[in-house]
Amino acid sequence: MTNPSISIVFPDKKLPGDLAMWFFILAELTVFAIFFIGFSISEQLNAAMFSQGKAQLHQTAGLINTIALITSSFFVAIALTKIHKAQAKQAVLLLLTAKAFAIIYISVKIWEYLSLFEQGITIETNTFFTLYFLITAFHLMHVLLGMVILAFLAHSAWHNKYQDKGLSGFEAGTSYWHMVDLLWIILFPLIYVI
Amino acid sequence: MQNNKTVDMAAAIKSWLLLIALSVIAIYLPEFIDHRSFYTIAALVIVVIKGQQIVDIFMELNNAPKFWRLLFLSYITLLPLIISVIYIT
Repeated sequence: MTNPSISIVFPDKKLPGDLAMWFFILAELTVFAIFFIGFSISEQLNAAMFSQGKAQLHQTAGLINTIALITSSFFVAIALTKIHKAQAKQAVLLLLTAKAFAIIYISVKIWEYLSLFEQGITIETNTFFTLYFLITAFHLMHVLLGMVILAFLAHSAWHNKYQDKGLSGFEAGTSYWHMVDLLWIILFPLIYVI
Repeated sequence: MQNNKTVDMAAAIKSWLLLIALSVIAIYLPEFIDHRSFYTIAALVIVVIKGQQIVDIFMELNNAPKFWRLLFLSYITLLPLIISVIYIT
């Protein structure tokens, strides 16, 4: 669905997908911004504890997850170009590839959690790990929701539903997935690097 | 109405490679830069560059109304700026 007010004010410009999805994305970004700022302030108040906590994290796992999400987002962006060109079957293949990279992300994240649990580290260990588990698990939930959305998009594209209905739904779904990627590129240096 | 200005394949590939390269650089920053404040700022500058790529190329907001593009670019610029100020002060 095109937002008529946007088309009138900006005749050559169009917001991809539904306006409602962009407001939803803004709301999600705001929630995560509060988490990120809270994490930074807590780190300044407990510098030694956070430094020790970060040293116990697996940086390479964080990097693998970053590459997995960026690559997944790339394939989703390319899938959108295929849908624009009415190449639905190729778009489905690209979406499935994107999901495969998302599965890599989830597998690595679960491995990371299990490794920490084996060391006796839990959400109750200290403030650092409370925030670490809360923020990363909250992000993981968004990845899982994003995967459901990608599956829905693939299913709809496979049945050529976007030829009749327009691409708004597809664009909205891909925008959500890129938001998940956008959040991770802030989360990654904040928790694993600096 | 469909968005005719779809993402360019070459631009998407360049963006993807840049994002991966910057991610790898970010993780090694503490090894190259001794002072924590400096590598913190460098890592957050990298976040801004990566965020701009995702907003403009992957999310296609470079073809969207200016308001929405600026809104998302503001987020990806101001949040790292706020975090930098918290870490440095």
